[in-house]
Amino acid sequence: MALGGYRPVMPDLAGVLEWARSQVASRVPKADLDQRDPDYIRDQLPRTWLLASLYFRADVAHLDRIPAEGPVLLVGNHSGGNVPPDTFVFTLAFCSYFGVERPFYQLAHNLVVSAPPLGWLRKFGTVAANHENARTALQSGAALLVYPGGDYEVFRPSWERNKVDFGGRMGYVRLAREAGVPIVPVASVGGQETALFLNRGQWLAKLLFADKLLRLKSIPISLALPWGLNISDLAGHIPLPAKIAIEVQDPIDVDGDDQAVHDKVTASLQAGVDRLAARRRFPVLG
Amino acid sequence: MRVERRCVIDADRGAVWKIVGDPDCYPTFMSSLERWETANEQPAGVGARYTVHWKIGSVPVGGLVEVVEFDDLRDLAWVGITGISLRGRIRLRDAGDGRTKVTFRLSYQAPGGIWGYIADRVAVRQVGRTTADTLRRLKVLVESQG
Repeated sequence: MALGGYRPVMPDLAGVLEWARSQVASRVPKADLDQRDPDYIRDQLPRTWLLASLYFRADVAHLDRIPAEGPVLLVGNHSGGNVPPDTFVFTLAFCSYFGVERPFYQLAHNLVVSAPPLGWLRKFGTVAANHENARTALQSGAALLVYPGGDYEVFRPSWERNKVDFGGRMGYVRLAREAGVPIVPVASVGGQETALFLNRGQWLAKLLFADKLLRLKSIPISLALPWGLNISDLAGHIPLPAKIAIEVQDPIDVDGDDQAVHDKVTASLQAGVDRLAARRRFPVLG
Repeated sequence: MRVERRCVIDADRGAVWKIVGDPDCYPTFMSSLERWETANEQPAGVGARYTVHWKIGSVPVGGLVEVVEFDDLRDLAWVGITGISLRGRIRLRDAGDGRTKVTFRLSYQAPGGIWGYIADRVAVRQVGRTTADTLRRLKVLVESQG
């Protein structure tokens, strides 16, 4: 039987990429702020307190710098790969200080909020990181925690552990400006000592099209428990018991152009990180 | 979990009550106190509310408390309204020779079932140190004013 013309049996690469992207996107839950459950959080606080106090020997300072009420954008530097202790330690501290009754949400990567084993995070107030979800949370009057550096910053090499690096992302400034809320920088150290992060693996993400399919800019390479050599960290790892120190900085009003505000925020964060790092005598031990 | 510490202060009850009966003075002698803020318009007495946090372990622990007993020169007690379940009491009694016996009690219970119980047990030593240190500082404060 003769073929009338060329008819591809397999869809072309662009089609595959588009199909995979739509599959992932369709599995990202829509932000439903009602999924946050204060009673669930309250019940989990003792467990997280034990982990934070005994394992990570965490220390959280200056929560009083966060406005006592109303919406606020909390902007942090992010560390610890796919098991970032700074997020849960700060969430514990915020909920203990202001009470579980104060609405508080955290933005997380699409893969985190769509992973079935991590569904409980939504009860903590974790929603997918996009502009619409963030705006909805702030408009509802909640406090919102964002890590603009995201997967770029969280997988920086361990020898850059005390460097604040958002990779040029400053969409959070526009978000704060549109919502009319102050930005409160939240500096932390210790998270990048929970494993030995070697390389962001951005070249690997491009090679495997993960940047297009999964919005993954990095497929990091690290040495971590229990895997040894850990490529991608998608399955997580057991973090080393590094001492986590967090210091909340003074609020910053969004009253200049985006770059100026961004510079203020990163300068404030870097100063906080430098202060906390100067108090550390040893990696991991603190 | 209940923690109780006592001390004898070399001053009469009136002098001790002058400080204990004014919760606005608490930041001057309460140990590990991260936050003590008036939360309503009520003057010191039954019904007055305060937002209180002690640094226990890694983070501030506490919440909104309300004074439920305000017995002049004798007892001041409060209960927690938000945060962990909490009851506190400062009790003054004569110890003879113009001295005052002060008892400071804190009863608390974290939520979360077995994890809450473990957290309570882990925290009890630090809470004990905090209450003992609070009484030590109260004693120094009162006796220095006498």
